[in-house]
Amino acid sequence: MNHTTILNQLDSEAEKIVAKYDEKRAATLMLLHLAQDKIGSVTPEAEAWVSKWTGVPAVRVREVVTFYSMYHQKPVGRRHIRFCTGTSCMLAGHEKILDHLKKKLGGEGKISLEEAECLCACETAPMMQVDDDYHGNLTEKKIDEIVDQLK
Amino acid sequence: MEPILSRNFNVKDAWTLPVAESRGAYQTARKVLTSMKPEDVTAAVVASNLRGLGGAGFPTGKKWQFLPKDSPKPVYLVVNADEGEPGTFKDRYILERDPHQLIEGILISAFAIKSRKAYVYVRGEYAEPYRRLQSALDEAAAKNYLGKNIFGTGFNLEIVAHRGAGAYICGEETALLNSLEGGKGYPRLKPPFPAVVGLFGCPTIINNVETLACVPPILKNGAGWFAGLGSPGNGGTRLFSVSGHVKKPGVYELPMGTPLREIIYAHAGGLRGGRALKAVIPGGISAKILTANEIDVKMDYDSLKAAGTMLGSAGVIVMDDTASIVKALYYAAKFFAHESCGQCSPCREGTGWAYKIVRRIYRGEGSLKDLDTLLALAKNMEGRTICVFADAAAWPIQSYITKFRKEFEEHINNKHEARISKFETISKF
Repeated sequence: MNHTTILNQLDSEAEKIVAKYDEKRAATLMLLHLAQDKIGSVTPEAEAWVSKWTGVPAVRVREVVTFYSMYHQKPVGRRHIRFCTGTSCMLAGHEKILDHLKKKLGGEGKISLEEAECLCACETAPMMQVDDDYHGNLTEKKIDEIVDQLK
Repeated sequence: MEPILSRNFNVKDAWTLPVAESRGAYQTARKVLTSMKPEDVTAAVVASNLRGLGGAGFPTGKKWQFLPKDSPKPVYLVVNADEGEPGTFKDRYILERDPHQLIEGILISAFAIKSRKAYVYVRGEYAEPYRRLQSALDEAAAKNYLGKNIFGTGFNLEIVAHRGAGAYICGEETALLNSLEGGKGYPRLKPPFPAVVGLFGCPTIINNVETLACVPPILKNGAGWFAGLGSPGNGGTRLFSVSGHVKKPGVYELPMGTPLREIIYAHAGGLRGGRALKAVIPGGISAKILTANEIDVKMDYDSLKAAGTMLGSAGVIVMDDTASIVKALYYAAKFFAHESCGQCSPCREGTGWAYKIVRRIYRGEGSLKDLDTLLALAKNMEGRTICVFADAAAWPIQSYITKFRKEFEEHINNKHEARISKFETISKF
């Protein structure tokens, strides 16, 4: 299915989101999240769709997409990992775990990895986020278990 | 000490309404809405010495009093749940474990400032906390703790949960407003302050999650009780996020003004493996670092300011003698370079150059001259930008180099080769 068709099917959901805000432009971030969740990235079609709903010119939507780290203009993997590189994770030795994760993921093809700034779960350092979920107190063994489940 | 903000953190399913109600949720809001005047609520918050717990420490009641008295425009309450200060994780605990405490705080505060609509801006990565909050909002609305004619008083309130999308700067309150309005998270020039011209150009109060969670206990037990818990001018308790090289990292609720030494050794269990303390960042990555000799300081806004650093978000990062301060500065500089919004030149260029120079030093390619260049650069970033991000980026540079200069010099002279982390890259496997 092409992106525009998928997006048009989200119109009723978009209408509900826009109605929550006193000015419809405020729905921009939430609509971008919704579009990205459904089509895997924020494509020009998605920007046009958000523009249609918010009245924000598409070029301004593009500015927003490129400003925030969670929006992706190209599809990421089927599963996306954000690995925390904050100070507390560094102190907990995240580099060794990250190296192990990269080795473990080698050649997988369906999982993408991003080195993220502090995800604010420092009490469980070193930690990472797989899609929505936080995984903390990581060890090489724990990485193996998590990645095996993802594959 | 009897826990106040954290009293439900370890109660099973306290994030659901039936359990929250069994623990007393919404009883204070009912009492306040049915028996008090908005002005009296604000007066109580003023008297409690509650200060903004996001990091700035501005007196909360005073902030509320900045609202214009007779504006024809709607008043908004915006909740800053964009927790992102490295080393801080306390707001996540409230959102995940006791969202009704926050919602009750929003309800009472909105009543006080005569707001009919509140937005909660939750950091984008906090997917589960956002879901818990949304679920709690739905439950509260279904029981008419939110919505129209709450407790039969004629007071209406709608709360919208909103998600950010991954930008530290949106924790700055005016950047948050621009982001909430659907734009880039660029901070705004002040004045005008948000209390006068805020969300959609209307009067707006922006308060942190933990700050608002303090409001129900203040109204329940009295402003004097709350003020008496802390130190002078710094009311109540604080959720200290403790991480790094301690035996028991976690969130500790303690009175404002608890000595840092006590937090590290009595509460967080002391250092792992019995190692020696080297340094502590007392209030999130932006706060100036303290050496092992400087930890006999009270953890409140005024005492830490007097000690040349800040309480900030109360994110305590502990480093033992195995930690490299050069490496710590490398990671801090990387963070600030990545997160500068790019609006002001001193910050956009300054954080970029600081990162490049620190990286050079860290890799063993630096010169002793670089240290003074960094200090000069940091000085030129301070106080020259729209928001305090540039200052926050300057403080680690200044304090790490000044307090640990010998370690930097040794690192440079010994030509250490250090591993470089990738900067803002997504790799596909």
